[in-house]
Amino acid sequence: MASNAAMPFWRAAGMTYITYSNICANLVRNCLKEPHKSEALSREKVHFSVSKWTDGKPEKPS
Amino acid sequence: MAMAALRREGRRCFSPLNSPNPIAAVRSSLIPASEYDFSLTFSLLLTVFLVVSLSQRRVFVFVSACEQSPLGVRSISTQVVRNRMKSVKNIQKITKAMKMVAASKLRAIQTKTENSRGLWQPFTALLGDTPSVDVKKNVIVTISSDKGLCGGINSTSVKTSKNIHKLASGPDKETKYVIMGEKGKAQLIRDSKKDIELIITELQKNPLNYTQVSALADDILKNVEFDALRLVFNKFQSVVSFIPTMATILSPEVIEKESEVGGKIGDLDAYEIEGGETKSEILQNLAEFQFSCVLFNAVLENACSEQGARMSAMDSSSRNAGDMLDRLTLTYNSLEAVSRAENRITERDEAKIKGVCWDLEPVKQLSPPN
Repeated sequence: MASNAAMPFWRAAGMTYITYSNICANLVRNCLKEPHKSEALSREKVHFSVSKWTDGKPEKPS
Repeated sequence: MAMAALRREGRRCFSPLNSPNPIAAVRSSLIPASEYDFSLTFSLLLTVFLVVSLSQRRVFVFVSACEQSPLGVRSISTQVVRNRMKSVKNIQKITKAMKMVAASKLRAIQTKTENSRGLWQPFTALLGDTPSVDVKKNVIVTISSDKGLCGGINSTSVKTSKNIHKLASGPDKETKYVIMGEKGKAQLIRDSKKDIELIITELQKNPLNYTQVSALADDILKNVEFDALRLVFNKFQSVVSFIPTMATILSPEVIEKESEVGGKIGDLDAYEIEGGETKSEILQNLAEFQFSCVLFNAVLENACSEQGARMSAMDSSSRNAGDMLDRLTLTYNSLEAVSRAENRITERDEAKIKGVCWDLEPVKQLSPPN
């Protein structure tokens, strides 16, 4: 099976299962017809801010 | 100004005018000029006319009592109460509006939350929930809201996280925080600064969706080392009840170790594995996917609880504002009654001192002629 053969490759590329499945999901979404396609894509907006802390201080806000 | 001219003349024959004058001079700083001019001139003329032509003491007293009301000095104390009433009324309007907004947001998010519960249930059926698992590296994911005015949900989740932190910490153990939301951050920075690993905010700028939360879960997985993740959030029960909840997610290695020991996870061997993958590969994928699903549900549950809590908080605060308004209205009414009575007395006393009306009747009879 193709997916089984691909498994180790995405893991080797430093992806987690979540990233991998998100890419797959996005591919599927892109296969939709209009107007469902733009609707589905507009629903999936990603926005948040992360700041990493070490020893009680924020490293750099991103 | 008519009044100023009359005062400068200072003629005795106009002595009835002198009685309202000192009061009016004090008042002048308290009222806007236009209102002052009109009402004072008008009432002066009226008083002069009535006193001179009719020379009836009853009418005089009655008119001067009337003259007081548009000037509004007697209500120096009632003015304060009136301002307060106005501000309370405005606050009540705001809280009512916030309640309506929260109610409509809640309706949208509640269905989403209830649907998302189907995401973690299969995982719990497969891997079980193991809150008591004892591992070295614990990471507590505290989920809170970005905005305030939503009752105690943020402090409950912070308190629960702190308790879990206390339980999980030991001599050779490491416990860290991953904080989501401004409010949890503000509370945890105060005393657990050194244990913070990651802070995530502005999650709810757009409506919550799985893509967003899974990207977030990905970030947490990449940046934080853990043996067990403890997600702390408020599970939505109803508009008025939220249960502080902890969901545990184990790292693949720990799952494997636990499955050898037995118990719920031990049943995992009963499943047949398709394809060429090893068990550890499957477990790793599963653990990652489980984390993103549980996190999605947790974020939604917490957002739902936030709206519910805000709704009930705003409901009770608008009710409190209503109660306060009732009390203030009572105070206002009694104050006004008192000051009205007082004004009549002082007016009469002043007139007596000035020698204008020397044979006034007692106060109790000082009422308008019927």
